[in-house]
Amino acid sequence: MANSNLPRRIIKETQRLLSEPAPGISASPSEDNMRYFNVMILGPTQSPYEGGVFKLELFLPEEYPMAAPKVRFLTKIYHPNIDKLGRICLDILKDKWSPALQIRTVLLSIQALLSAPNPDDPLSENIAKHWKSNEAEAVETAKEWTRLYASGA
Amino acid sequence: METSPIIIEDDAKTTNPVVSIDLTHSPVSKPKQTVDDMVVDSPYYSVKRTVTSIGGTRVSTTQKIKKEEAEEGTDLCYSKAKKPRMLSENDAEYVDYVKKEVVDGSEGEPVCRDSLSTRELLESCARYVDSVKEVFDGFEPVIDAEPISVYKSEEIESKPLTGISSNTLRASLKQEGSLQKEYDTVIDHKPKSVKPEKMDYEEAEQSKPLTGISSNTLRAPIKAEGSVLEGSVKKEYDVMDQKPKLVKPISSVPPHSGYNGLGLNKKGSGYNGSGLSKKGERVVEDRKVSMEGIEIGDFEEEVDWLLVGRTAITGLSTTKGRKLEDNEIVHFAFPNGEVRSKSGYWANSRGGSAACGIVRFSTKRSGEIGRLPMEWSKCLIPLVNSKKVKVLGRCVAAPPNLSMMQEIMLYISFYIHHSIFTEDGNCSWKLDSPSNIDTTIYPLLTLFKLLKKSPFQKAEFTPEELDSRKRAVTLENDLNEAASVLPSAKGRKPLLIEPNKDAQVLTESSLNKLVGAADMYNLEEMDPPTTLTCDLRPYQKQALFWMTESEKGVDVEKAEETLHPCWAAYRICDERATAIYVNIFSGEATTKFPKATQMARGGILADAMGLGKTVMTISLILARPHKGIGENENELIEDNRSHERNISRRPQGGTLIVCPMALLSQWKDELETHSSPDSISVFVHYGGDRSTDPKVISEPTVVLTTYGVLSASYKSFGENSIFQKVDWYRVVLDEAHTIKSSRSQGAQAAFALSSYYRWCLTGTPLQNNLEDLYSLLCFLHVEPWCNWAWWNKLIQKPYDNGDKRGLKLVKAILRPLMLRRTKDTKDKEGRPILVLPPTDIQIIECEQSEAEHDFYDALFKRSKVQFDQFVAQGKVLHNYANILELLLRLRQCCNHPFLVMSRGDSQQFTDLNKLARRFLDNNLDSSAPNPSKAYIQEVVNDIKNGENTECPICLESADDPVLTPCAHRMCRECLLSSWRSLSHGLCPICRQDLRKTDLITCPSDSKFRVDVEKNWKESSKVLKLLECLDNIRKKGCGEKSIVFSQWTSFLDLLEIPLKRRNIGFLRFDGSLSQKNREKTLKEFSETTDKMVLLMSLKAGGVGLNLTAASNVFLLDPWWNPAVEEQAIMRIHRIGQKRTVCVRRFIVKDTVEERMQQVQARKQRMIAGALTDEEVRSARLEELKMLFR
Repeated sequence: MANSNLPRRIIKETQRLLSEPAPGISASPSEDNMRYFNVMILGPTQSPYEGGVFKLELFLPEEYPMAAPKVRFLTKIYHPNIDKLGRICLDILKDKWSPALQIRTVLLSIQALLSAPNPDDPLSENIAKHWKSNEAEAVETAKEWTRLYASGA
Repeated sequence: METSPIIIEDDAKTTNPVVSIDLTHSPVSKPKQTVDDMVVDSPYYSVKRTVTSIGGTRVSTTQKIKKEEAEEGTDLCYSKAKKPRMLSENDAEYVDYVKKEVVDGSEGEPVCRDSLSTRELLESCARYVDSVKEVFDGFEPVIDAEPISVYKSEEIESKPLTGISSNTLRASLKQEGSLQKEYDTVIDHKPKSVKPEKMDYEEAEQSKPLTGISSNTLRAPIKAEGSVLEGSVKKEYDVMDQKPKLVKPISSVPPHSGYNGLGLNKKGSGYNGSGLSKKGERVVEDRKVSMEGIEIGDFEEEVDWLLVGRTAITGLSTTKGRKLEDNEIVHFAFPNGEVRSKSGYWANSRGGSAACGIVRFSTKRSGEIGRLPMEWSKCLIPLVNSKKVKVLGRCVAAPPNLSMMQEIMLYISFYIHHSIFTEDGNCSWKLDSPSNIDTTIYPLLTLFKLLKKSPFQKAEFTPEELDSRKRAVTLENDLNEAASVLPSAKGRKPLLIEPNKDAQVLTESSLNKLVGAADMYNLEEMDPPTTLTCDLRPYQKQALFWMTESEKGVDVEKAEETLHPCWAAYRICDERATAIYVNIFSGEATTKFPKATQMARGGILADAMGLGKTVMTISLILARPHKGIGENENELIEDNRSHERNISRRPQGGTLIVCPMALLSQWKDELETHSSPDSISVFVHYGGDRSTDPKVISEPTVVLTTYGVLSASYKSFGENSIFQKVDWYRVVLDEAHTIKSSRSQGAQAAFALSSYYRWCLTGTPLQNNLEDLYSLLCFLHVEPWCNWAWWNKLIQKPYDNGDKRGLKLVKAILRPLMLRRTKDTKDKEGRPILVLPPTDIQIIECEQSEAEHDFYDALFKRSKVQFDQFVAQGKVLHNYANILELLLRLRQCCNHPFLVMSRGDSQQFTDLNKLARRFLDNNLDSSAPNPSKAYIQEVVNDIKNGENTECPICLESADDPVLTPCAHRMCRECLLSSWRSLSHGLCPICRQDLRKTDLITCPSDSKFRVDVEKNWKESSKVLKLLECLDNIRKKGCGEKSIVFSQWTSFLDLLEIPLKRRNIGFLRFDGSLSQKNREKTLKEFSETTDKMVLLMSLKAGGVGLNLTAASNVFLLDPWWNPAVEEQAIMRIHRIGQKRTVCVRRFIVKDTVEERMQQVQARKQRMIAGALTDEEVRSARLEELKMLFR
C-alpha cells in the first residue's frame, strides 16, 4: 500500500495544503496514492496565462523530502520553460532542491514561473526562440493556448 | 364422492380413487411411525392418513373429518382459525381448505392456509414471492411430520375416504417460529447453477407405489372471503385461461428437459418421455387400471443408486381434466439451470425466475400434471442436475378429476448415486467449489432435512449453530474468561502499548486460557531412539510418543473412533450403505467413516518456552528418520501422490527445518550433539553459495534453513524453488509464529512446501490475535479451517463479534492437533512435569533523593500541564504520540535524570547565554555573511524560553536540534541526512555551505556525555542496583546477573558506575551483529570475571538461552508484562540450576508505580467485551491514571 508508510511530513504538508491553500493554487492528494497530487494553478494575473486553469500532477518520490517532487503540467501550455510533455524547467525541482522546500513552495514557484518566463534557460527551444525573437507574438500565442486549452477545464 | 365441477375433457372413466396399493416390496417394519412406513401392506387397503404436526400433534383421521363435515357442512372449507398467511409454500396455488381436528393436540391451533389469490395475481408477483419463498425453503419442512400411516383395511374399509391436504399443516405457528431461526442460513441458500440434464425416466423404481387417498369431499370450491377466487367455478376457468401465460417461459427450456411444459394444449403430447422403459414394471392392479398407457409398477433396485429415503409430497396440479391414476408413475422435469444463467433476460422476464425454479411432473400418458412445491424444487433442482441424485415417484392419491391447483399426493423416492462416495475417504462431492460458502446448507443436507433424516451422529459444529446469533449459548466459565484474553477486532489495538508492534501481547496464562494447555499429561511415554545421546524427561518422552503417533495417523485421543468434527452421520434406507457421512461445511459425502485423524498429519508442538521443544523434535527425527517413502507410509503416500509420481519423480527429501536465522547454529549444534555420530546427516542451506539443485538438499536427513532463505527462494522461483521441488518427508517450522501473517511471503512459501508431515514448534501459537492461528492451520493443511472463508465465517467473525463459539471451535480444532504443556503442567502423579529451581520475584522500591524528586516533580508538573491541555481540548487521543513522549521522559527520569537532561530541558543545559556566546564566537571568524545580532538574540531567546520551533524538514518540533552558523534550527538528523557528504552540506534554508563541525547543538548530546562523566551521580535506582550487585559479589558464589532495561541510553549510563566499581560486564543490545551476539553470549557463559550482562529488553530475540545467569534485574517496567515474563524465561528454563532471583525496580510515587497499576488493570480488563468507544475511554482513563 502506498499510503501505509506515509511519512508524517507528507501528512502534515497535505493537511496544511488542504486547510490553508495558497491563493490561486489547489492541490489535493489522490485517494489511492497519497503521494500523488492533483494540482490546479490559476494563471497569474498580468501574465499571458491569466484566466487559465492549469492542471498539473505532482508526485512525491520515495526519498521525499530529500529529493524533489516530480511535477508536470497536464494542461497544454505555451511557455519557454515548459515542454510539450508538460515538463518544467525549474532549478528547485532539480539541483537546487532543498528539503526545506515544500509542495506549497514548489507550486508557488511554478506559479511565479508563469508570471516570469525565462527564455534564457529554455526547455522548449522553439518557444524560447519565439519568445526571444518576437515576444509580443509569443505572448499572443500563449494567450491563445490558454484560451484554447486552459479555460473552463 | 363429489365430482369436480370441472368438465373432464377426456372421457376416460373416472376411476374410483379408492386406494390401490402395491405391496410387493414393502419393507414395513415399524407399522406407523416413519415416512418409510407409508408403504402399505396390501392392495386395496384403505388408508387413513394421520398427519402429524411438528409438535407431534396428530391432526386428523378420516373419521373425525367425516364428523366435522357433518357438523359444518360446506363451511368446512373455511378455515376456522383464519390465520392469514400470505406466503403459502407455493405461489399461485389453488388452496384447499381442510378442516381438521386435533386429536391429542395441545398445539392444536387449527392450521390452515387461506391465502387465496389468482394465479394471475401471484404471477405478477412471482418474483417477489419467489424471493420470499427462499425463506420458506429452509423450513423444517412441512413433511417433517410423519404424514401418513396406513391402517389395516378392516379398520377403515367402511369409512368414507378422505384426503387431507398435508399442506394444512404448513402454516403451523411453530414453523413460523422456526423460520426466524433458520432465516440467516436459508436466505443464503440459492439454487446452484444447474446443469442441463434430462431426467432419467428409464430408471425403474424399487419403491412401492403408495396409496393415498384422494377425496374431494373436502375439497370444496374456494370461497375464502376476500379472495379473488371467491368460490366461483367460472373464475377458476378464468384462471386456467391465463395459464399459458404462466408457463410460457418453460416452453423455451431446451426440449431435452423432458417437457415443454404446456400441459394445457398439448396434453398427452407434451411429455417427451423418450425411451421410457417399462422393464420391471409390473401391473399390480388392473381392476382399476384398465386404461392403456397407465404407467404403474415398481422401481427397480439399481446397483448404482442408493435409496436415501422416501416421502410423500403434495404436488399441485397445473392442468385440468388430465387423467391420473393412483399408483401411476409420474416423471419429473427439472428446469435447466443454464437457461437462467445464460441470459439475464430470463431473470428479468416476468415469472422467469420463478418458472426456472419449478419442478414439474407428468405422466406418460397425459403429459404434464402438476408441479412440486417450491421448497422441494429448490432443493431438488441442484441435486438432480448434479446427476448424483435421482428422484422417482408416483401418484398415491389421484383426484378423480384433475382441476387446477388441486393437490396431488405423490410418493417420492430419492436415490443418490454411489459415485459421490469415494472409496478411500478422500471423497469429494461438491456441488460446486465452496467458494461461496454462504451456502452453509448444502442441497444434500437440505434433502436430509426435508426427508426428516437427522444425523444419528451429529457433527460437533454446525454452520447454523455457529452462524445464528440468536441462539444463546452458555458456555463454561473458562471460555468466558478466555474470550476476554484476546482483544477483539474492535478493540484489537492493544491498550496503551508503546508503538512497538512486535511486543508479545499475550501473557502465558492468557494463552493457556485461550488454547488450553496440557490436558494430555497422561500420554504414554515413548523411549527415545538409541541414536539420541541425551536423556529425555518423562514429559519429553510423552511428546515423542504424541508426535510419533500423530505422524502414524493414530491419534492418541482415539481419534480413530471419533467422528471428524465437521462431519455428520446419516442413515439412509438402502441396506447397502449403512451410514453416509456428510461434511456439513463442504457438502462432501462419503460412506467411509471420517476419522478425526484424517485432518492433518503433524501438529503444533506448543510447549511453553524452555521445555525443550528442540530436543523433542530431534528425538522425533531420530526415531523416524525416514526419507521420502517409509514402510508404513507407503500406502498413505500412494494416496496422496500417486498421480503426481506418475508424472515426474521428484526428489524425496528428509526433514526440513525452517527456523529464524538466530537459531540456525543452535539447531545445528543441538542436532549434532544430541545424535550419535553418523546417525543423521545435517545440511545447512544458508549463505551465499547455495545450491539450486534439489538433489543436494534431498540427500541429507536434515536440512536446516531460515525463513528468509525459504521465502526469498519462493519469491524468485515460486513453485520451482529448490524447496518446493522436493517432496519432504517432514517439515518443521521452528518459532512457527514467524508465519503468523498468512499473506506474507514467508507464510506462502511454507504453505507451498510439499511434505507428508508438518510440524509447528512455537511457544506462542497465538501472539496478538486469533488470526495468527489461521496461518498455522493453513500450513498444517487442516480442513476446512485452512480455507479463509470458513475460518472467517465460523471463527474469526464470531470471535470478533464476541461470540464465544468461535473460541470454542478453536479449542476443539486444536485439541487433537496441539500439544501444549507449561512449566506448571503436572504429570500423572500430580508432580510438575519439569522441576526447575524456584524463582524469587521481588519488587524493589526505590525512593528518590530530594534533588531527584524535585527534578521529577518539575518535569511531571510540566508534563501534566501539557496533558491537561490536551484533555481540555479533547485531543488526548490525537496527541497520543506526544503523550507517550511525555510519559517516556517521566519514565526515563525515574531511571536517571540524566536521561532526560540529554533531551535538553534541564537547567544545566539551557545555559543559553553561554550557548549564545559560543554561537557568536563561532560566527566571528566565519567568512559567511553573519545573521544580524538581533536575529540571533531572538533565536537564543526562543531557545531560552523553551520554544522549540518546527524543524523545516520533518515539520515536527525539532528533536535534538542544531543551530547552524546562519542561525537556522532543525533536527540534526534531518539536516545531516539532507547532505550528500558526511562532513558538509548546504543549509536547507539559505543554501549556505555548512561544515558539520560548525553546527551548534542546542543542547548537545556530546556535552551531556562529558558532563555525565564529570558530574556522575547515581540515581536512587542505580544505587539500589549497585547495592544488589555488590551483595551478589560479596556472596562469592559466582552468580551471574543480567540487567534489563528498555533504553540503551540507560545501559550507557550504567556503564559508568560499573566501570568505576570495577564490576566486569558485557553488553548485549540490538546494535550487535549476529556474530557478536553469539560471541557475547558465549563469553558470558564462560567468563568468570564479567559477571554482569547489560541487555536491552527487546534485543534478546527468540530462543536465547541465558541460564548461566541466575539474577535478573528489570530496571524499568514495561507496559506489557508479557515482555518481562519472556525476559525472565530466558533465564528460568531447563539448565538453570540455581534459584532465579528476579528484581523489579520501581520508583515510589512516580509514574512507574502507576504503571504497575495500569498493568494490573489491563490484565483485569475484559478487552474483548469493549467496544471501540469503550476502549478509547479506557485508554483515556489509563492515561489520566498515569498523570494523577
